[in-house]
Amino acid sequence: MSYKRYHIPVAPAPNSAPHPRRFNVNVSKLGLASLLIREIFHYRGDMSTVLSRPCMYGVFSGPVGGFAPRADNCVGCLRCTVQYPDMVRVEPNPDRLDLGDSYFTPDNVDTVLYEAATGRVPVKGAGYRGRYGGPGWDGMWTDMSEIVRPTRDGIHGREFISTQIDIGERPAWLSFDEEGGLDGNRWQVIRLPLPMLFDRLPDSLLSGGWEAALLDAAGSLETLAIIPWRALPEMSSAPPALVPLVAPADVDQLLEAAWRPRMVEIEGWDARAFDRLRTAWPECVVAVRMPFGDSIDGPLASGCRTFHFVADFHGRTSSGFVLESIRLVHDSLVVRGVREQTTLIGSGGLTAAEHVPKAIIAGLDAVALDTPLLIALQGRFRGECRTAGTCKVEMPNVDRAWAKQRLINLMGSWRDQMLEILGAMGIREVRRLRGEVGRAMLQADLEKEAFGEIEGYVHV
Amino acid sequence: MSMSDKNERQMRAVTDKHTRALRSGFARWPGRDAPPPAMGDLRWPADLILATWAQAGTGAPPVGSDAHTHGLSQGGFDRLGFKWLPDGEGLGSATEIDLAIPLNRRPYDPRIEIPVPWYGAGMSYGSVSEQVMLARAMAAKKWGTFTSTGEGGYPDSLFEYKDHVITQVATGMFGVREVTLKAGRIIEFKYAQGAKPGLGGHLLGDKATVSVAKMRQSVPWVSLFSPFPFHSVYSVEDHRKHVDWVKTINPDALISIKVSTPTDVDMVAVGSYYAGAHILHIDGSYGGTGAAPEIAKKNIAMPIEYAIPKVHRYLLSEGIRDEITVMASGGIRTAHDIAKAIALGADGVILGTSELVAMGCTRCSNCERGRGCPFGLTTTDPELSLLIDPVWGAERVSNLYSAFAQELSTILRKLGLPKVGDLRGRTDLLTYLPHDAGVNHVDQR
Repeated sequence: MSYKRYHIPVAPAPNSAPHPRRFNVNVSKLGLASLLIREIFHYRGDMSTVLSRPCMYGVFSGPVGGFAPRADNCVGCLRCTVQYPDMVRVEPNPDRLDLGDSYFTPDNVDTVLYEAATGRVPVKGAGYRGRYGGPGWDGMWTDMSEIVRPTRDGIHGREFISTQIDIGERPAWLSFDEEGGLDGNRWQVIRLPLPMLFDRLPDSLLSGGWEAALLDAAGSLETLAIIPWRALPEMSSAPPALVPLVAPADVDQLLEAAWRPRMVEIEGWDARAFDRLRTAWPECVVAVRMPFGDSIDGPLASGCRTFHFVADFHGRTSSGFVLESIRLVHDSLVVRGVREQTTLIGSGGLTAAEHVPKAIIAGLDAVALDTPLLIALQGRFRGECRTAGTCKVEMPNVDRAWAKQRLINLMGSWRDQMLEILGAMGIREVRRLRGEVGRAMLQADLEKEAFGEIEGYVHV
Repeated sequence: MSMSDKNERQMRAVTDKHTRALRSGFARWPGRDAPPPAMGDLRWPADLILATWAQAGTGAPPVGSDAHTHGLSQGGFDRLGFKWLPDGEGLGSATEIDLAIPLNRRPYDPRIEIPVPWYGAGMSYGSVSEQVMLARAMAAKKWGTFTSTGEGGYPDSLFEYKDHVITQVATGMFGVREVTLKAGRIIEFKYAQGAKPGLGGHLLGDKATVSVAKMRQSVPWVSLFSPFPFHSVYSVEDHRKHVDWVKTINPDALISIKVSTPTDVDMVAVGSYYAGAHILHIDGSYGGTGAAPEIAKKNIAMPIEYAIPKVHRYLLSEGIRDEITVMASGGIRTAHDIAKAIALGADGVILGTSELVAMGCTRCSNCERGRGCPFGLTTTDPELSLLIDPVWGAERVSNLYSAFAQELSTILRKLGLPKVGDLRGRTDLLTYLPHDAGVNHVDQR
């Protein structure tokens, strides 16, 4: 087998649907006319100077300059309004407040759109602009090392950081029968080159043709796409990326299919459905999908070793936020001594690149992404997008090739950002990051250590 | 008149027009009823940016508002206040406050003391213009403090100010030559930086202009990603060899070690001490003036407010606290931030963004886009960089220093402390504010 270095083929895929601009630019026409007249006299008719404009992004580059500003070009540098306080007013565009929802913020939407359009890592100057820390993902910082580095050539150099993971069940040891054959212990894994899968689409989008784009992109990325079985078109063979999601009651029907997937996911725990699938399709990884907080006792006792835990799209679970819920289930498996044999996939509330390594640090092997895929395809939420059952999304009319490239770009960008985090830590492979809470810094701990002695401190 | 003379005259006329309008705007905006609606963020709210412009214009702290004292980030410095002495119990205005700090606490090597507890951060040629570097160097000279080259080389015009310019040695080794090492009274090894810990410097292709590439001995218009870490340093002992190498070339130089803030920053501090550092520069994750991946700014390494007490206490417990100067950076915006950093355990601080804001930065984050900063700060575009006249820029930075010095003296008087050194590590003089203190800001950008 020849060596193949994993590479995500990003390529430009600009927005195809209109996107609200960031700023509105209002210019006082009277003031501008008055300024022009004054300057014509002041500069003695030197029109090159008079007509030189305080914008390098082309906002005033139209044939009538500031009389019809091209606000789409505005990047909010504010130079025009600084120079001419009485004449130019730059305001945040209120239409942007409709982007995303209360969890998937407009800034977050912009970032995902940039990533999906370019496949690049967002880079900006002028430091961090946001809230100091906060609940959820924002209360965690990842560690770095001053002198340790996984490669001497930088993270994009000759050596590389592996983002490969295994999904499935991995016995702690193999056992053999008297004739030397394997004695029932299953080593049933799918090896993926990145720890990101595509999760099921909201109900309102099922059978709308989007599954094909997901499967195209997942196939190209060599990852998996979880698709509700009933939303699948007629097929003679299963694409390698396909993970059908099936209700326990539908398992018998699924087993009549002419094709066999590499992995199948059961919606909720059902011992009979699990046994049926494992018996009928022994080469298939059988995962159980359930909400964070559901008991794992039954599945573990029945031999289930692949779990997909789900929070809602805002990261809410029965026990709080998804980050803490991941830690609970990971720790629980560690205590039971079966963590190494088990795969944990998680979904819900993962809306930015940094959430992926943080979720893995908390204990996941892989994430299955949901709402970022919709945003990457320029979907617009209609109201709050909290659950797959209730979320309403307006999708643009796009072609399949564009949609595929957008999803590939998003994954390319997010993988590169994960490499930045891993590289900063000096970790060579993402599998080593799983559950490594020692490489994370939690705000509650840092705050107590730094400020605990200060009057008025309250530990949260 | 030749065509090039004509073009130059034209460019100068255009620059003069816009420079005048900009300076007028910097003076007018702080006095207006409301700030520009699209300005500011939680770390640097619009009122704080305008208050900084006002200080850079007048040289004095604003009166009648506390907008110049804090941001609205709901954490870190923004959640700390001071336990003032009751009215009348502080020091009177006639009491001279000593703001000086020593940069060398070792019993050997030259004594260097700076009259204010801060100096300027490293900003490379390429990330900022030569005019900006000169402005900062002039201000540093005027105040008897320092500024740093960053890792982009040492423009010839800076040599006039070499006694106030720190030569930075970073992983890209740009501009590191015998002559530049000999020029510096302080040599700064940059192991990491807060804005992009563990990643090395970034200069994107658009800003690697012909002159920048020449200075860095690289190829124009090709992005420059400095390696990380130093390829010759994998231990404290390796680091010690680095120090020895520099001391061989420049025996009188003080050594500063710039590091980021990992979870073991306290161990790094002790290692730096034993490797021979005079100054430990810890750079927290929320500052930075140059290009950085967005994911790195918020998520990698801890903010400076957490790192300072961790380092201070560990150095104390090791019995070496008074043999090394700890300078903190990465989000120091105001005189109040300076005082809080010192109360948490730093000797002094290093300023970067606040100096750029003083010269007109609106923190629009477009530093890396196209030709660079539209205000002529973070650019080497030949036309845009003319917007900053070094003498004007130096005056603005110097005025900000003056306002900070006055404000810091006022803080110390209200705490009853005659020397800034008395504030170091005095967390007992701080209060932790309720979570919703002063929070009514919505980030709209």
